[in-house]
Amino acid sequence: MRVLVVEDDPLVGDGVRRALNNDGFAADLVASTEAAKSALDAESFDLVIADIGLPRQDGLQLVRSLRSRGQNVPVLMLTARDGLEDRVTALDLGADDYLTKPFQVPELLARCRALIRRANSVASARVGFGELELDTARKSVTAGGKTLELSQREWAILECLILNGGHIVSKSKLMSAIVDWSEDLTLNAVEVYVSRLRAKLAGAAVISTVRGMGYRIDEPRK
Amino acid sequence: MTAPSIRKRLLALLLLPAVLILIAGTLSDYFTALAPYRDAYDQALFDAALAISGHVRVDSQGRRTLSLPADAIAILRYDTYDSIFFKVTTEAGEFIAGDRDLPELHDNTTNPARGYARYHRESVRLVTYRAKGSTGTLEVSVAETLHKRDHTRSRILFSALAVDIAQLSLVLALIWIGVGLALGPLRSVEAQISRRSARDLTPLPGESIPTEIAGLVAALNRLFVTVRATSDAQRRFLGSAAHQLRTPLTGLQVQLELLTEDPAAAPVRERLAALLEATQRLTHTTQQLLALARSDEAANLSWEFTRIELSEVVEATVADRISAALAAGIDIGADTQPGTIQGVRWLLLEALSNLVNNAIAHTPTGGTITVRSGVAADTEFLEVSDSGIGIPVDERERVLERFFRGSNARGAGSGLGLAIVAEVAQLHGAAVAIDSGPDGKGTTVRMTFQRR
Repeated sequence: MRVLVVEDDPLVGDGVRRALNNDGFAADLVASTEAAKSALDAESFDLVIADIGLPRQDGLQLVRSLRSRGQNVPVLMLTARDGLEDRVTALDLGADDYLTKPFQVPELLARCRALIRRANSVASARVGFGELELDTARKSVTAGGKTLELSQREWAILECLILNGGHIVSKSKLMSAIVDWSEDLTLNAVEVYVSRLRAKLAGAAVISTVRGMGYRIDEPRK
Repeated sequence: MTAPSIRKRLLALLLLPAVLILIAGTLSDYFTALAPYRDAYDQALFDAALAISGHVRVDSQGRRTLSLPADAIAILRYDTYDSIFFKVTTEAGEFIAGDRDLPELHDNTTNPARGYARYHRESVRLVTYRAKGSTGTLEVSVAETLHKRDHTRSRILFSALAVDIAQLSLVLALIWIGVGLALGPLRSVEAQISRRSARDLTPLPGESIPTEIAGLVAALNRLFVTVRATSDAQRRFLGSAAHQLRTPLTGLQVQLELLTEDPAAAPVRERLAALLEATQRLTHTTQQLLALARSDEAANLSWEFTRIELSEVVEATVADRISAALAAGIDIGADTQPGTIQGVRWLLLEALSNLVNNAIAHTPTGGTITVRSGVAADTEFLEVSDSGIGIPVDERERVLERFFRGSNARGAGSGLGLAIVAEVAQLHGAAVAIDSGPDGKGTTVRMTFQRR
């Protein structure tokens, strides 16, 4: 997995690059939008992490030019400003996620993994999540190489949670993932499937309940 | 001392003279109207005296007598309202005819002499006429009681009063209305200013401003321009301060995080961990000081208030703080009912996430935190309740102060979190209430937004 980091602050840039390296990513660091464009033209990356506050051309312009040239590489924006406008603009321009400085390394890595996972699920059928390995074509999942026997609905819930890894997924979104036209399901049915899924995962991934909002899946804590 | 009022001054300066002028007018009308009627009645008395004097004859013994038949005298004395008296004497005062005890006037300057007198314990009008004729000089006095005159006089008085009071009221009403209309432009400027939001710093429009206060309004507009320039400068400064402070802090923090996990740094890991903790505290305090400065700024300056759905703020906050809560082994949840207010979204997020951070820091593993929004008793609210250690009752007021930390506060707090909550609440016209949880344990902090 190759990541391009676009950050003009050397300490932050170096820190992000090292953190990615430690987590098994290959990371390249450039300090300007111009340098980022040449790097992206020359080689292919699985993810771009770009600071909004770059000198001359800012990170927003980088996203705009990427998207206008039809490059779909996922982009995670970093911002040091707390205004909402930056984030809205970034997402409108085609950035995939944003993180406000200061952030913590585990949060950054989780966001990166989620973005790459989502992009890969479109490109290929295989999605990794910790020790889980999903095959979206065959709708099968293995945990540490061992196949888990999931019902269709349990599988649909697991897929929906993992593709939104790091974010809370509402019950109604999960319900629309499992419901077919012939049946009426209640939101309570979602709870039943989630608790069965939890039992079958046996700690290979942790599904947390967020009361009133939905569920979130995390890799088990080390 | 109450503030001076132009309206009151104008009314006093116009109404008081107007009332005095009208009272003087009424009096002069009254006295002017009195003279002609008095003269007319006096003329009747004089005519009677003249008629009487023409009927004095000298009889065979050389005595002067009044040769009027009793019927004629009765006619003379007849009057519907008043009693009429007369007396005829010689110049020397020798009685000839009439009412013997009727007084006469001795005024040689006018003829006939006119005046008031008392007769039979009643006031009478008396005319004494000195007639010089073939029978020598006679004095004829004719008097009548004042009923008719009193009646007429009061009629004149009342009609004069009625007209003048009507006139007075009309003038007063016109002055009142006139002053009100004249001050209308002032009031419309006042209304224009008071309708504006406190954060609106655009200049007042010049066209509807009366010339008398054009200078004042121009001065206000200059002030608005200055304040706006200051606010823009402050906002730019805070924006760049945020960037200038956060970026190096992020670098410092990320590098320290990596170093604490670097096997090569194992011998100094404890010292690095302490550095990391200090950096995190510094970062946190910087964040909060920036938030406070910006909410101060927002309170004074032209921040755009927009329609905010409170449940969305709750969900964004929970989504943002979920990792920290789960890492601390706390069951966090949202309980949202719809409710909208006018507000600044990122400030509300800042306030709510401060409350959730506090709750996470002060709730032991296995506890619960619930973030709520909704409408209760017709007012919108945001609420964070936890099952944690609680805040002692006597500290609940003071924890809202800057840098105050409760006696059982935990973690590396800056003492600014709740001050930010108080500040954001104040900016949104919200009240902050701190209570125990429903079972007397934990803490519930509720921001109640007052209807405006």
